[in-house]
Amino acid sequence: MSEQIVVKHTNELKDAPAEFREAVSKLVISHAVNELYGAQVFDEPAIALAPTPYAKWLTCRVAMEEYGHHVRFRELGEEMGIAPEKMTPSEKRPLSIFEFPLQSWEEFCVIKLLADLAEILQVEDLLHCTFHPLRNLARMTMPEERFHAQFGEDFCTELVATEDGRKKVQDAIDRYYPMLPAFFGASVSRNNEIFRKWGIKQRTNDEMREDFLARAKELVEDKLKLKLPKLAQAA
Amino acid sequence: MSDAARQMTGNALAPLDALRNRIRVASWYAAVGEELTSGERWDARAYLAGLGFAETGVAAVADWKQAASVAKSPDWSRDWWDREEAERSALLARAAELAPERELMAGLSKVMELTAAVTHGAAAIAASRAGIADQALSRVAAGAGAQSAYQAALAAIAHHGEAEHPFSVKFRLFEAGRWPLGISGGEFHLF
Repeated sequence: MSEQIVVKHTNELKDAPAEFREAVSKLVISHAVNELYGAQVFDEPAIALAPTPYAKWLTCRVAMEEYGHHVRFRELGEEMGIAPEKMTPSEKRPLSIFEFPLQSWEEFCVIKLLADLAEILQVEDLLHCTFHPLRNLARMTMPEERFHAQFGEDFCTELVATEDGRKKVQDAIDRYYPMLPAFFGASVSRNNEIFRKWGIKQRTNDEMREDFLARAKELVEDKLKLKLPKLAQAA
Repeated sequence: MSDAARQMTGNALAPLDALRNRIRVASWYAAVGEELTSGERWDARAYLAGLGFAETGVAAVADWKQAASVAKSPDWSRDWWDREEAERSALLARAAELAPERELMAGLSKVMELTAAVTHGAAAIAASRAGIADQALSRVAAGAGAQSAYQAALAAIAHHGEAEHPFSVKFRLFEAGRWPLGISGGEFHLF
């Protein structure tokens, strides 16, 4: 399906077809906005919720890494000629998964466990992107994204060791998990068709979603021995 | 912004230039586990006195495993953390009176971006020299260092670089290669 064009540097982007340029711009803007917004609504407030100095400083570092991802995507966007104000949540609406009102440490750990898993899948799909500056950025970002998901897994594992913690983590999963499948976009998506046409992304939204559901099941049901709630059928 | 306002903002944020230079050349985590010097004990006591904990004793932390254990200890002092937070809020309010929010946040962001870039690698190297390969623990150390740099930046703006604010003293301990772990079990732990 790919038309086999490869853009190795941002200064070659001007010679790429308009559809390709617009597609990579959309992705860069989306990542820049969502990395910043995620750090602002989840990671920064979680520092106050963390139960020990260890957890507080680790959360502080994770917040800085998420903000650092925003900076990297914003810098790439600026190299591509995107106006900086377009890469902030005030200009572009962030994703619905950020509309979860964070109130507890258990909720934050579940967010890191599941939302960062979803983020890993999105970044994985860019690892062979035909726009190499974006591919390189995805490769650079991946180890930190993996660590953030591991953070969620480690703290959730610690929390479920007590009955109270187990109940709170299950409750957070019950309320947050249903928001996540929509993160991968509609089953029929013009954007996704264009991304795959140009080899910018590799998989359909449904393929990514299925992979996420399988990996989430492995984490929540096989590792943590908790239950995933049933999802409403997509319309 | 008028020329006079720009000049005022520039003056208010000028201490951040010096702080960034100090962050670049600091001996991040290079002295952890070594015997505490009298100067470091003096700084620790000055920091504690500045926050209202003059009676709290200073305890040396010997290694990374003990540091992790202190930082995870359930008997850490919430009072200590809350006093730091109250002081941080007061300094932020004062800094916001001295510089417009946009310029203030941009200046603080530059400090944090630099700190993020230097602290994690330094912590990972220091831990690996001690035979510790723990991705989380080196990030915990980096997070603590970043918090201190942020606090020191606010103190520098609000007090125009005055050296003896408790947050400046705490940063000086990080600068000298230490990791102040805070108050736990009634003592201030310095790694």
